[in-house]
Amino acid sequence: MSDITAVLGVIGSDCHAVGNKILDHALTAEGIKVVNLGVMVSQDEFINAAVETGAQAILVASIYGHGEIDCDGLRGRCLERGLDKVVLYVGGNLVIGKRDFAEVETLFRGMGYDRVFPPTVDLKEMANLLKQDVAARS
Amino acid sequence: MKLKSEKMTMEAFQAEREEVMRTWPTGQGVDFEDGVRYQLALPESKRFSSALAKAEREGKTLCQPRAGVALVDEHIKLLQFLEPSCDLLPSTIDAYTRLNHYEKAAEGVARSLAAGTSLLNGFPAVNHGLAECRRVVEALKKPVQVRHGTPDARLLGEITLAAGFTAYEGGGISYNIPYAKKVPLERSIRHWQYCDRLVGLYEERGVRINREPFGPLSGTLVPPFVSHCVAIIEGLLALEQGCKCITLGYGQAGNIVQDIAAIRSLRELGHEFFRAAGYEDYALSTVFHQWMGGFPENEAMAFSVIAWGSAMAALSGATKVIVKTPHEASGIPTKEANKQGLDATTQLLNMVREQVFPASPVVDLEVELIKREVRAVMAKVFELGNGDVAVGAVRAFEAGVLDVPFAPATCNAGKLMPVRDNEGAVRIFEVGRVPLPDDVLAYHKEKIAERAKAENRAPVFQMVVDDIYAISKSKLIGRPR
Repeated sequence: MSDITAVLGVIGSDCHAVGNKILDHALTAEGIKVVNLGVMVSQDEFINAAVETGAQAILVASIYGHGEIDCDGLRGRCLERGLDKVVLYVGGNLVIGKRDFAEVETLFRGMGYDRVFPPTVDLKEMANLLKQDVAARS
Repeated sequence: MKLKSEKMTMEAFQAEREEVMRTWPTGQGVDFEDGVRYQLALPESKRFSSALAKAEREGKTLCQPRAGVALVDEHIKLLQFLEPSCDLLPSTIDAYTRLNHYEKAAEGVARSLAAGTSLLNGFPAVNHGLAECRRVVEALKKPVQVRHGTPDARLLGEITLAAGFTAYEGGGISYNIPYAKKVPLERSIRHWQYCDRLVGLYEERGVRINREPFGPLSGTLVPPFVSHCVAIIEGLLALEQGCKCITLGYGQAGNIVQDIAAIRSLRELGHEFFRAAGYEDYALSTVFHQWMGGFPENEAMAFSVIAWGSAMAALSGATKVIVKTPHEASGIPTKEANKQGLDATTQLLNMVREQVFPASPVVDLEVELIKREVRAVMAKVFELGNGDVAVGAVRAFEAGVLDVPFAPATCNAGKLMPVRDNEGAVRIFEVGRVPLPDDVLAYHKEKIAERAKAENRAPVFQMVVDDIYAISKSKLIGRPR
């Protein structure tokens, strides 16, 4: 049904590999074409992969707490590279410390991410949102 | 392959040291002789190896948190806050420093200063440099260990050991496979031979530095024999470079029999392999890591995970336990949450201390199983290396003989797939190319079949995924809903 290609990866100097492997598995099972860049992915690597594969979405994960530093500026770089319609998601443990999720969501929405997810998100639900968001954007 | 497990010559070490010390400005002015003098002047109460030796003699399990923030004064405040609640202190290093991205760490320090809160997940010791690291050691009464995840930890080691840290975690395999993506194993092992030689040089000058290979690896359903093999290899590599105080580690799996058997077999196998290689004059201790996988968000539930790990650490006879916090599901804890984890752990350790887990044929069976697995894999490692453990380790990873589940490194095969059995012990679902004996493999299959039957489903990858999430959803085994 869907013909969605999504670039997936863990951003920055983050080596958390387990969730990445599960996300790949779960999204593939939902019919999404996953371009999995694995762990320790730079902003440019995300964008290059999206340009090369014509992906409609970039799914950024960050678990180790440096998300505030690593994730900032990705939307701007996407626009510079002509990815003006790309859906940007971010999820994981995005900041240092246990902070109110609404606050974290506002922070990352402010950086230009379309949706912000806690680590507890249901992956099937996330895949459905992705299908809706990509359809609305195209 | 130029790699060989052989003590580095002084010439080779010195030549390499000159290069290492130039990789960041804080490397200048770090003098080994000054480091030795500083270490020798430390009181006994700050020496990690002495605390471990005392705990070994008394049969006590010590507790140690993880902790580190971006700025020195805040880091000192954090450790001083935790100090009364633990036996041993850490300085957990941030993830940028772990990859030698010192410019990024500098940015993290600057942004943390501006934000008035730490935006780094640890203490950037290299950026702060020798004098600032000494300020940390001097502000504390208890021994401090460097805990990190650094494939090339040579400069970090030079700075922190000269600054009076008395224990150094890591190893060429355990700080590559779970922590890096593209670092060749040969290179990280080589770089850790330098770190081990540095520790060996301190030892030769009368300064005992504790060396701890990182036990839990990917922290996700790692079968005991896998992490034991890595621990033993890194122990052998460290001993060859002159390290004398080795702590071998293991991350809690969750099944009581398997966890107790794991620590027992780890200690016995350590001695077996170290003595077989001709090393006699060393101190061996063990560390048990409380559950390293996903935690429940609910803090009351998280305390149960912490408490169960504490009980296992004490009952298994581990020398120390590394403690989690009720904030684990959200990442880096506040200092208050960190202290709560320590208090919960101490309560359990104190209650279990006098109790001995009764002699049990079930535990004996599990110990024997782990030993047979480790011996089979280690025999192949030595065979592949023509007797050299460093070469053997590299070739064994290439061949998939050593294989760590769910690790990010591309030099790791990732063919071995674990799953829990019907009692929650971690078993081998897909063996990949790991050379386990046929009857051992048959035993694993049988234990998994028991579970599959109980759940009325075939053992497939979904079962593994269910297991990975199980503890965060309040169960040990990922049963179907």
